[in-house]
Amino acid sequence: MNVITCYKIVPDDQDIIVHEDRTLGLEKAELEIGQYDLPAIEAGMKVVADAGGKVSALSVGSKHLENTKLKKAVLSRGPDDLYLVVDDSLADADTHQTARTLAAAIKKIGNADLIICGEGSSDLYAQQVGAQLGELLGMATINAVSKITVEGDKVIVERTLEDEVEVLEVSLPAVISVTTDIIQPRIPSMKEVLSAGKKPVTQWNLADIGLADNPKTMETINTLAPELAERKLIINEGDSEEVVDQLLANLRQELQ
Amino acid sequence: MSLMKNVWVFSDKQDILAEICAGAHQLGERVTALLIGNQSTADEVIKAGADHVYLMGELDGSRMVEDFLPTIEKLVEDHKPELIIFGNTKRGKLMAGRLAAKRGTSVLADVIEFAEDGTCKRRVYGGAAISTIKSNAEVAIATVGSGVFGPQSLDESRQGTTEKVEFIPADSKIKCLERRAKGSVTVNLTAAKRVVAVGRGFAEKEDLKMAEELAELIGAEIACTRPIAEGLDWLPRERYVGVSGVMFKPDLYIALGISGQIQHMVGCNQSKTIIAINKDKAAPIFKQVDYGIVGDLYKVLPTLIEKLKAGK
Repeated sequence: MNVITCYKIVPDDQDIIVHEDRTLGLEKAELEIGQYDLPAIEAGMKVVADAGGKVSALSVGSKHLENTKLKKAVLSRGPDDLYLVVDDSLADADTHQTARTLAAAIKKIGNADLIICGEGSSDLYAQQVGAQLGELLGMATINAVSKITVEGDKVIVERTLEDEVEVLEVSLPAVISVTTDIIQPRIPSMKEVLSAGKKPVTQWNLADIGLADNPKTMETINTLAPELAERKLIINEGDSEEVVDQLLANLRQELQ
Repeated sequence: MSLMKNVWVFSDKQDILAEICAGAHQLGERVTALLIGNQSTADEVIKAGADHVYLMGELDGSRMVEDFLPTIEKLVEDHKPELIIFGNTKRGKLMAGRLAAKRGTSVLADVIEFAEDGTCKRRVYGGAAISTIKSNAEVAIATVGSGVFGPQSLDESRQGTTEKVEFIPADSKIKCLERRAKGSVTVNLTAAKRVVAVGRGFAEKEDLKMAEELAELIGAEIACTRPIAEGLDWLPRERYVGVSGVMFKPDLYIALGISGQIQHMVGCNQSKTIIAINKDKAAPIFKQVDYGIVGDLYKVLPTLIEKLKAGK
């Protein structure tokens, strides 16, 4: 079983600064693997642990993918090797550009049986790349998967929808987007961190994967922090009867 | 205001389909529903707001909702509406994405507002910001959740047309073996007018009883932060408020023991009134409340409940 797990490098949103004019400052935000992608990587490791095979990690994006620490961070979570497609035009790629790039890279890697994506990216969270990728590759495509069991040349998956669970038989090759609760991602051991540096990394540009022409399909006009609603900000301290009475009076007013 | 000519709507959930059909009149002159169902469900969708219904057939044991995608693709290709909206359920997101890939475009995902100039808004960075985006596609594809267009009313006298279309079989690479209801009771928090929300300020699951008592006294639903639902598992996932959970705008939101991280606040900061009780004076929630108590909820809450009871 050849498994490919896709991931995105994103800024840690706890470190995003909002400027006076409501624009965002991402300079101080540390880059990390998307939090929804970690369970996808671990789910790939579980599939191979159960059914045998190999896991490759794949990401597409701008130069920051080349960061040694980030490459090690992925490989220390188990994958056997890593593929990167690096091009500055991918820095703010839309979901279609990302899916096209991943599809071209997956074709070039070859022989993929199962491609696993996270529930969405931690920064934009459109939850679209897995769906588009599967369609572009002409493979069985499914999302919201909370369990994967390999059975011969098929996988049986559980899909958790809003108010029901489906058990599906999915023929391979397939692209599967998994939920965050499918599996608890590991904390890499020291041994895993040390061996990560020795694993093979293949880096391509867009031309290498035959994708010189990859135009945008949507524009982002601006990204601003939301204007917060004006609030009364009537705040009292302590737990005295007086403080509670005051709140109760306000609450009663709201309940009318 | 420049309305589009044709807006199409699809959802695997009948109530979301009806709601978006009604709301889509804010965007387009003619609203068409893509429906899996029969004539009587078509009539309901027309009453809710559709001018036209393409009746694509019914679900049976062998068909999954996703199997209707080739039928939708053909209709879109033949008629090219300016916009097709999918209800943002899991199935809706998958189908929107697959359709977009077929048509060589992206999806305007989880749109929270459509503007007259053809742009729309969506949340990014866990709710810390809102992007204004615009599709370059001939047929724009969007996903929209419940509540975006506001509450809508049924018009029993509304007229519309229904057209049966041929179901185009899908090359099924996926077979549904079993479908079962989820264990937890489903709740629809988005409709709640009053909400009592709990966070990590509660030390034990047992203590949530205080919040439940308050909720019962004022006729509120219980909600929570993500760690209470995922991790501690004190409440079902359906009750957590935040960017990947429930987003709503109740009249009253009472936050108990909630610090007010952006990822949570984005789900509730449109509430009409926000009240918070939290012992940490520096908690970010106190920048966003109408009324607040910096105090120990284990002392404040019992007193408040007692007084509410006595006052009745």
